Amino acid sequence: MSPARRTKSSRQSAGGPSQATLNFGSSHSRVTKPTVARTGKEALKEKDVTTKKDPALVLQGVNDDNDVQAIASPDLAEPTTAEVAIIDQTEAEVAKPKTKEEQAAEKVSDAQLKRYWKAREDERKAPRVHQEGLSMNEKILRHFDLSSQYGPCIGIARMKRWHRAQNLNMNPPVEVLAVLLREQRKDNMRAERAHVDELMSSRFVID
Amino acid sequence: MAAKMAGSRDGELLRAPGEEEFVAAERKPSSYNPLHSFELARGDQRHYQQQYGDMYFLRLAKLKPAVEEVASEAWEGFQIAGDRVRRVERVLDVRQGELCWVVGTVYMDMPLKPNILDDISKDHWISAPPPREKFVSPNGLDQIMLEDESGRLRMIGTPLQSEMLVTGCIIAVMGTENANGDFEVIDMKVPDLPRQPQRWERDDAEAVTGSKNKTSEARTSGNRVALISGLSITGEEESGLLTEMLMEWLLGEAAGGDEQASTTQISRLIIAGNSLAEASPIPPRDELSTKKTSKRYGYDSSSYNSAPTTHLDNFLSTLLPSIPITLVPGASDPANVAMPQQPLHPALFPHSRAYANAPATTDGPCWFDPVTNPWEGDVDGWRLMGNGGQPIDDIFKYVHDDDRLVMMEHILRWRCGAPTAPDTLWCYPFQDKDQFVIEECPHVYFVGNQPKYDTIVIDGPAGQAVRLIALPKFSETGEVVLLDMDTLETEVVKFEAINEK
Repeated sequence: MSPARRTKSSRQSAGGPSQATLNFGSSHSRVTKPTVARTGKEALKEKDVTTKKDPALVLQGVNDDNDVQAIASPDLAEPTTAEVAIIDQTEAEVAKPKTKEEQAAEKVSDAQLKRYWKAREDERKAPRVHQEGLSMNEKILRHFDLSSQYGPCIGIARMKRWHRAQNLNMNPPVEVLAVLLREQRKDNMRAERAHVDELMSSRFVID
Repeated sequence: MAAKMAGSRDGELLRAPGEEEFVAAERKPSSYNPLHSFELARGDQRHYQQQYGDMYFLRLAKLKPAVEEVASEAWEGFQIAGDRVRRVERVLDVRQGELCWVVGTVYMDMPLKPNILDDISKDHWISAPPPREKFVSPNGLDQIMLEDESGRLRMIGTPLQSEMLVTGCIIAVMGTENANGDFEVIDMKVPDLPRQPQRWERDDAEAVTGSKNKTSEARTSGNRVALISGLSITGEEESGLLTEMLMEWLLGEAAGGDEQASTTQISRLIIAGNSLAEASPIPPRDELSTKKTSKRYGYDSSSYNSAPTTHLDNFLSTLLPSIPITLVPGASDPANVAMPQQPLHPALFPHSRAYANAPATTDGPCWFDPVTNPWEGDVDGWRLMGNGGQPIDDIFKYVHDDDRLVMMEHILRWRCGAPTAPDTLWCYPFQDKDQFVIEECPHVYFVGNQPKYDTIVIDGPAGQAVRLIALPKFSETGEVVLLDMDTLETEVVKFEAINEK
C-alpha cells in the first residue's frame, strides 16, 4: 500500500452541475511520516479544539461545492481508537514492576547494540536500501517488527509484543528491549507503534 | 385425590396430630470452585482494535510444542524406501520430493462458507440466499490447507478423508510435496488430551497455600449434579408445564418418599444455555424498512416484552432457596454474541439476584452463579467444562458427519475449545492468550442444546478419562441429565406432558 500520489488536478468548471473534485494541491499535501508526530504521552491525550476532525466521524464527503482537499496522514488532535489502545497497552506494560529481563536490558551498552545490529546486517548479502535516514535504534525496532516468528506486529504495542514473545518462551533479543526502554526514557511515543501499523492505517481527512 | 399418605388409614383422614416425628429432608451440599478463565476485561479495558491474526499465532505458539512432542515420538526414525523423515521448521520450507513433517494450523477453503458477498447480494436482489446448514460442498470443491506465519500449503491425500478437520486445529502432517506443489499427506497427528488434574487437586492446592480463607467444607459423597439445557422460556402460559414439573421435582414437592429421597442427592443445577427462547430480536433490515415507525420520544415500551425474563426469574428464584444454580448463557440468551459470552447480568433477575454477587466484584462464588460461556470449574472436586453448544454447532457445519460426540471428542483431542473461532464463529480478538486452548483436561465435558442426549467416556494416552455429555433441549425432549459425582455415571429423567385428544 503506497501513500497517495500527489498529482495536480484542477477543477473542471465547465458550467455544468457543480460537482466537486479532489484537489491534491501540493501546498496541502505532505510527504512526511504519517500520524503521530509529536512526542510525549500527554500531548497525545490532550483534546485540542481545532478544525480537524476524526475522519471516521466525518460523514459528508464530496458533496460540497468547494475544492475538496485530501490530506493523507494528517496530524490529528485526538488520537484514534487504535492509538488509544496502543497507548493503554504501553502504559499497562510500564506500570508492571521491572522483570529480570528489563533489568538485564538496562545493562545493555551501546557497544552491545552496535554489535547486535552489525550481526543482523552481516546476515544479508546487500545493505538495506531505503533505510539511510533512520537511526540504528529505529532500524533495530523495525527488524523486530518484521520478525514474524513473534507474531503479527499490527495492533499491538512493541513493548507488549516483546513481553508476549518472552512469555511464550521464544527468547526475543534483549537488545530490542533495551532499545525500547531507551526510547521510553526519551518519552518517544512514536517508537511504541510498529511502523507498518502506522502505514496500514494511514488516514485521509477531507475538509 | 387418591394419594395415600404414609401412616393414614382409609376413613381416618380427620384426626388429631400424631406423635410421629417427620424429619425434614436436607439437600446434600455442593462443593464448588469455579475458574474465571473466560471472563473478559470490563468497559474501557476491553479493546477491539486488534486483529485476529494474533489469535492464530497464539494458538499455534501454545500447541506447537505439544504436537511436536507427539509427532516426533511417533515418526522418529521413520523411513520410506530408505528416505528418512526430517522435521521442517516452517510450512514453506518443505522441498519437493523430500519426506518431511511439519506442524501448522488447518485452514479449510470452502466455497459455501458465509461470504461477505452474500450480504452485498442481499442489497441488490432483495432476498438473501437461505442460510446453509452445512458448508461442506458435496462435490469435493473444498480444499484443506496447512498454514503458519510463513504461508499456506495445500494438502491432499487419503488420511485427510478419514480424519475430521476444521479450520483452526493444530496438527502435524508427514508427507512430501509433489510436482503440483500440493503436499501429499501420509500420516497425521494431533496434540491429544492434555494433562488431567486429580480429583480435588485444585482445592487441596488452595488449602495448602491458604489462598482461600473459607473453612474446608466437608466433602460429602453420594452427590449428583443436574444438567439441563434449552429451557427456551417464552413467557407464554401454555408452554410452561414442563418447567413447572421440573421445579416441583427438583424441590421435592412431586412424587413420593423414595423419589424425594433421591432428589435430595442433587446438590447443584447447571443450566447450559438457551434459557430464554429469544432474547429480544432485532428485526432484520428488510423487515425494519417495511415496518412503519411511529415517532416516539425515548423508549418505545411496546417493542419490549418482559414476560420471558420474568418467567425465568420466577423459575430461578423458586429453585434458588433450595438448590444452588450455575447459569451458562447460550445463543438465544441476552448475552453478547461473540464467544466467550459474558455472564448474564443480575439486573435481568430482580428476585434471583439476592442470591448472586454484585456485578464486577471479585468475591468468591455465590449460590446463584451466572457464568461465562464456555465455562470450566470444579464441582465436588471434578473438573467440569462445558458450553452452550455454539462451538459444536459450528463444527457440525464443516463436516459430513452428524455424530456430535465425535466432534466433542475431537475438540478435546485438538485441545481447542472453539477451533472455528474466529473463522466462522464470532469471537473476541484475544491478544495475550488464546483462552480457548484447553490446558487441563476436564473430567466431564458437557455441551448444551444438542439434538439428542448422548454420552460416552473417552480415554487419553496418559490415562485420562473424560465423560462427554451432549445435553438435549429441555423444551423439546423434557430430559434432565443427572451426573453422579462419585462414579461419573449419567442418568436421564424425562418429563412429558401427555395430550389426551
